[in-house]
Formats: sequence, structure tokens, C-alpha cells
Amino acid sequence: MTFELDRRNLLQMLGLAAVSGSVLSQASFAFAEGTDNVTIGWPSDVPTWDPNVRFVPDAQPLFKMVFDQPLDQSPDLKLIPNLITKWELKPDGLSLPFEIRSDVKFHNGDPMTMEDFKYTFVDRVKSGLKLDIANSWRTLTDIEILSRTSGVMKFSAPTPTAPQWLAFLGSYLVPKKYIEAVGAEEFGKKPVGTGPYKLVDYQMNSRIVLERNDDYFGAKPKIKRVTIDIIKDPSARTAAIQSGQVDLTVNIPVREAERLGKTDGLVAEINPFTRLILLQMRNDMGFADKAVRLAAHHAIDKAALSKAFYGGAAVPLSIPATPGTPGYIDDYKFSYDPALAKKLLADAGYTAEKPATFKLAATNGQFPSDFDIARALIQMWQKVGLKVELEQIEYSKYFELNRGGKLPEATLYSFDNATGDPEIFSGYLMNPKMPFGAWKGQEIGDKILQLFVEPVYEKRIAGYKALAKEIVDTGANIPILQSVQTLVRKKNLSYVKYGNAWVLGSTMSWT
Amino acid sequence: MFATIARLMVKRIFTAIPILFVVSALLFCILRILPVDPAAMSLPPNATVQEVEAMRREMGLDRPLYDQYSIWLGKLLHGDIGRSIHFRQDVTSLIGSTLPATIELAVIAMVVATVFGLAGGLLLFYVRGTRAEAVMDFASILLLSLPEFLWSLFLLLIFGVFFEVLPFTGRLSPGFERPVVTGFLLLDSLITGKFSSFFNALEHMILPCLALGIALSPSLMRVLRSSLMDAYQDDYIHQARLRGLSEARILIRHALKNAILPTLSLMGVQFGFLFGGTLLVEIIYSYPGMGNLMVDAIRNADLPIIQGAGLTYCVAVLVISIIVDSLYLILNPKLRAR
Repeated sequence: MTFELDRRNLLQMLGLAAVSGSVLSQASFAFAEGTDNVTIGWPSDVPTWDPNVRFVPDAQPLFKMVFDQPLDQSPDLKLIPNLITKWELKPDGLSLPFEIRSDVKFHNGDPMTMEDFKYTFVDRVKSGLKLDIANSWRTLTDIEILSRTSGVMKFSAPTPTAPQWLAFLGSYLVPKKYIEAVGAEEFGKKPVGTGPYKLVDYQMNSRIVLERNDDYFGAKPKIKRVTIDIIKDPSARTAAIQSGQVDLTVNIPVREAERLGKTDGLVAEINPFTRLILLQMRNDMGFADKAVRLAAHHAIDKAALSKAFYGGAAVPLSIPATPGTPGYIDDYKFSYDPALAKKLLADAGYTAEKPATFKLAATNGQFPSDFDIARALIQMWQKVGLKVELEQIEYSKYFELNRGGKLPEATLYSFDNATGDPEIFSGYLMNPKMPFGAWKGQEIGDKILQLFVEPVYEKRIAGYKALAKEIVDTGANIPILQSVQTLVRKKNLSYVKYGNAWVLGSTMSWT
Repeated sequence: MFATIARLMVKRIFTAIPILFVVSALLFCILRILPVDPAAMSLPPNATVQEVEAMRREMGLDRPLYDQYSIWLGKLLHGDIGRSIHFRQDVTSLIGSTLPATIELAVIAMVVATVFGLAGGLLLFYVRGTRAEAVMDFASILLLSLPEFLWSLFLLLIFGVFFEVLPFTGRLSPGFERPVVTGFLLLDSLITGKFSSFFNALEHMILPCLALGIALSPSLMRVLRSSLMDAYQDDYIHQARLRGLSEARILIRHALKNAILPTLSLMGVQFGFLFGGTLLVEIIYSYPGMGNLMVDAIRNADLPIIQGAGLTYCVAVLVISIIVDSLYLILNPKLRAR
């Protein structure tokens, strides 16, 4: 029997293929929808599924669905028990006795033990693996195991923020037995955690599929399957939520969020969170004169910036901390006062003929409206007689320029701190020994180093509050706004809102 | 004929070696001159300046440039492109896992560009001298002036958001099984008999391939049209008419055969550009290919990936040019006779 492929046969075959393809694919589309599933459009991927390896703030909510941290944070960012049930930092800050749960299992069925704690925070770091948590736990010398469920973290120097770091970047418990069996490389591809979801499918830069861990020790997630579509382009994320291809998405342009909020079946939120938008300052060149720095600060209308670029939702800041965090000072306000700015400049001898000049560096696209804010700042400064040149930089160049002392006088910067602790705000931003500390004044640096080892919590917080005021009063830093996260979701999908912008599938449900 | 093609391929492979060497040196030097600090980017935010300095020494960034290059080249010759700063994985494995998606995308986009380009070129030629020529000319210039990423956004809004008929994120819809054999999803879904995945993957490829293909097609149209015009000045066309052949037969069987050669050369060059064009298209359509990886690498100053991906692009362009030259030999007997 012979088969001749003529035009009619070909058309019939193509028609059949198209119909069957469409039917088959529609059949599976139906599978992807339903109240047991949710699809989230997320702007970035995890660098690797080994959660100890890299500190990437946007990846933390993804890690938190598969892994657990020793301590957790409540939506208002207070530390709460998780794998660790009891903890107490000793008054000298040199040890932290703790107790763990006895009913936690990894996704492969292995029980969580104190050995896993020791392995995660001590052994892995000492083995020479290149892990970011090695930096956060550099003072941790050992975890002494006292019993099946209790132990003591021992530090070589006072480590007052140890509890905060137990709920911060990279501090996720990993399974010793499994990693030793399969190797770190394989673990990074096929992770096993204790979290509320198991990873069932992953394609880098495209999709993460999670399925509920029915043996989870904590509150069982209501959604059985969470699909995370990695959609890096904000326009594509906007299109995805508008067309219903995802049920929730974040970080789309404010104007788009406002527009979508008026669409039937969608809800838009603009939520401030623990990320600062500020100016990292130098203490030399055009900013050697304190009057110029303060004039630059008084000239900024922060409320106008918030209204213009963040729908008025970004909170104007006077100190480098966000409202509701321990280091925030409610009654401290740095005034917007262009007249005072002009007076400060005039008193310092600057005139229209001899204006104070400096440069501002800004990224373009590193955070929403960054370059637009920079352009608006230039205009505000021009109004008080400051002559400023704008320079665009890549975020990745910031460290190199800072290292070589080549950053200009001011750099528009965004800084994330999910814990809200002031050490990670003022302490890290202003420490001249850290790679992003542009201010090289040793007076502030010395105070920070003292606070880094201050074990008494109240004293430490009071110290940071005083330091924050000093930073602003001397013009060592110009806090501008609290950053916002835009979030658009289907109206019948609810979730728990966290002060640090975590969006967790485990807190979602359909109503 | 095959011996001639084999000789050409061997010759071109030998020529490719110094090209790759020069490209690798240029790539390495340019990336080292950029004011980025891969050592700082590889460490967490709470690393001290001393730790960054130690990392810089460990990465060899404190050595002279020629030292750094010779170490890198030595490793490259042993198949070690390096380890990603951001992903902390071997660059070879990262490129290996993303390259098939990009090749699949680029090949199908090239098919789209070829179909549109040839059909459009023939149409442009067909309407020459009529009032429709001006309209077609205008349309082709309009197509030419829009870059891939604008086509991507435009098609996404029309077919993804407005009509809601085509998916535009990733390679598969949620719920579809993703077979992994070769990394080429279309091929893998056929090999494993997952036909629903095959059709769904095809659906996902329509918009990105159209965006890439449409952007490339106008130049093919215009080159084909002008080649056809040149061909129609030749004597063999008049001879064919005298022999009583139909205009359609003259166009397809005689003129097109000769006019296609410059178009083929252009397609070779365009394929190289198409590879570069996948960067933004992959980002817009969340397509997990090498373009997407490259954007991550640039954002994180991940020099090993940028170098590895740059070299891969170079190899791809060289391979394509060898294929195009071979096709040239097959289609043009005059070249074989030389």
C-alpha cells in the first residue's frame, strides 16, 4: 500500500493536528486552574535551591515556602518561634541557648535533629564551601548539643543580632544526611527542606512548581499547588495578571497597579515595606561642607516625590529606618524647607555666581522610578541654587566605584532589611568598613563598631536611635522614602501581608 | 560535491580557531576594563572590605591582565569555562541547560522570518510598478523600523491580553509535564510521547518566534526583491519567455533560484543577530534560554557567564556561517567548479 501526500491529505493532517493539539492543551489548562492551585507572577528566580549560598532578598519568599528558618517573623516583623521554640541571648552576647521542635520532618521523611542545626550553621561554613551565611555567622564558633532538642550557639565575640539573623537572609535549615548522601551540587538542584511546600518541578528563569507538604509541622497551607512563574519584565507581569495567566503578581509600575485596581475582579495594593530609598553621601569633595549637605537635604520635597512616583504610598523618611521598626523615631522630623536651604548656602558663602556644585549618581531600573527620582532631585536642588550633575551607574558598579573612592558626592540607593533591625539599616549603611559605606567619617564608624558588640537590646536600640539622629543632623546620609511593593491579585484570593513584603503561597486561600 | 563541501568545512573550521582566540581575548579584556567589582558582587552585603579584598585575590583579580587571561584560556582549553559568581554553578552546565531553549526559539523564529521574508519578497516583486508597490514598500519599512522587543510587547498585548488566545509566559502552561531528554522541549515531548506538552510548547513559542521572525523578515523581503529585479535583467529570463514558459514558472523555477543566493547570505548574518535578539524577547516572554541567563549575568556582573555566553554566541555564528557557505555551494554550481 502506498501513501501519497497530496494537498488534500496535508491539509487534513494539519487540521487534525491543530484540533487535537488545541483540545489536548485545553484539557490540561483546565487542570492548572481551580481553588486548589494558585499561580504567582514573581519578578526573580532563586540563584540556586541551596538556601545558604546566596543572599538575594527577592528570593526569600521562595525559599521560605520550601525551607524553614530557625526563627520566623510575624506579619508585623516580630521574632516568633519556628523550628526553635525557645531562645535567649545571654547578657554578654557570647552564647545563645535554644530548644528545637521534636516533630519536624524533612520532605524525604528524615527527622530534623540538632545535628542538622550544627551542620547548617557550623560544619558547612567551616568546610570551606562558598556560602553567604559564612559571613552572617562569622562569629559562631560552635553549637554545643546538650540533648536531642537543646543546644547552645557559642560566639567568639558578642553577637547581639544573632536572633535576628536566625530569621534573616540565608539562615535556612538544611538536611545533613541528605546533602552528605547526594552532594551540595545535587542538593542545589533537588532541594529537600522542612517547609510547607515540596519542590516538584523547576525550570530556571521560568517556573517553580510546589506541592503542599502534608507532613508539615505548622499550619497546613490551604492551597495544594503553588506555581510561580518567573516573569522579569514588569510589562509582562502586568499583562499576565490582566489576562488571568497569573492570580497574583508584584512590583509592577504604580500607575499600572492603580489602573488594574479599577478592573473588575482585581485588587491592587501599594504597600510600604522595610526598604529604604536614600542618598549615600561622601564626606569630602563637594560635600566636605556640612552646610551643603544639609541644604541638599532641606531642599528635598519627599512628599512630592512619593506622590509623583509612588501614588503617595511611599512614606517620607527623616531617619534611615522604616516606621514600625525598632530603630524608628516617631517624633523626629527633618523639615522640607527650601528657604532654610538657601540661607544655609548663603551663610556658607555660596552665591548664584559661585554656587555649590556636586554630582549625583543613580541607577536606572534597579528599583521603581529610580532615575526619575534622581531627575526630580536635580530640579529641587536647582531651585535652591545647588548646581548638580547627574550620572547614571549600574548597580554592579557601585561597589567598584566605592572601593576606588570614585563614587560622586551623592548616590541614590535602595537598601533592603527584612528584619527591620537598626544594625542592618544604619549600622551596615554607615559602616566605612563595609562595601556600601560611602561615608568615611571615622567618628560615626567607631560608634557603629561599638554598637555591633552591644549585647543589651534596649541599650543597643537607644544607641542606634541616637546615631540615626546624628547621621541626619550632620548630613552624613539623606533618607528619602520608604519603598513600596505594588501587588495585584484576584479579588477572591486572600493572603497575609507582611511588613517586609514577603508574599507566601502558604498564607493564601481562595474565598 | 560532498568532497568540496567537506574541504570548505575543514578550511572554515581552521579559520574559526584564530577568530575564536581573538574574540576570547577581546571579550576577556573588555570585561576586565569595565568598572565592576565581581569580588564584591560575589559576597553578601555584610562582607567587610578586607573580605572583599581576600576574595579579589582568590579570584585572581589582583594579577596583571595577561596573567588572568592565560589562566582563563588554559582552563578553557580543558573545557572549564569557570564557575558562576551568582549561581555558584559551573558555567558549562548553566549554558548547557539553557542553550537548547534558545536554539529551539532561534531556529523556529528563523523559519518564520524565512517564510515571511520570502513570501513578502515575492509579493513586493510581484506588485512592482503598480500602485500597491508604494503601500507594500511602506509596510516593509514600517516592519523594519520596529525592533524585536516592541514586537514582543505588541503581540503580547494583542494575542495575550486583548484576545487572550495565546500564552506568553514560559515554555509550558502549569499542569503540563515537562519531559527532559535533550533539553529541546519540542523534540523531548515527541520522543516521550507527550503530545499535549508538544502542542502546548508550540503554543508558547508562537508569540516569541513571531516577534523575532517578523522583525527579521523585512530585510529579507527587500534583498530578495532587489535580487529578483537584478535577475530579471539577465538574458536567461528573456530566453525563458521566448520558450513560452509561464511568468510564475520563470519566477519560481528560474529567477528565484538565482536571486535566493544573496538572501541566503543575509539569512546567515541575520541568524547571528537573531541570537542576540533573544535577550530581550526571552525576558519579556519568561523564556528560560541563554538570553535570560545572560541578562542575569550582566545584572550581577557575573563575568564567567558573560564570557562563556559570549563565546557560545561566537561559536554559534561561526557554525551558522559554515552551514550557509555549504548551502551556497550546494545551490551555486559555479562556486563548486572553482
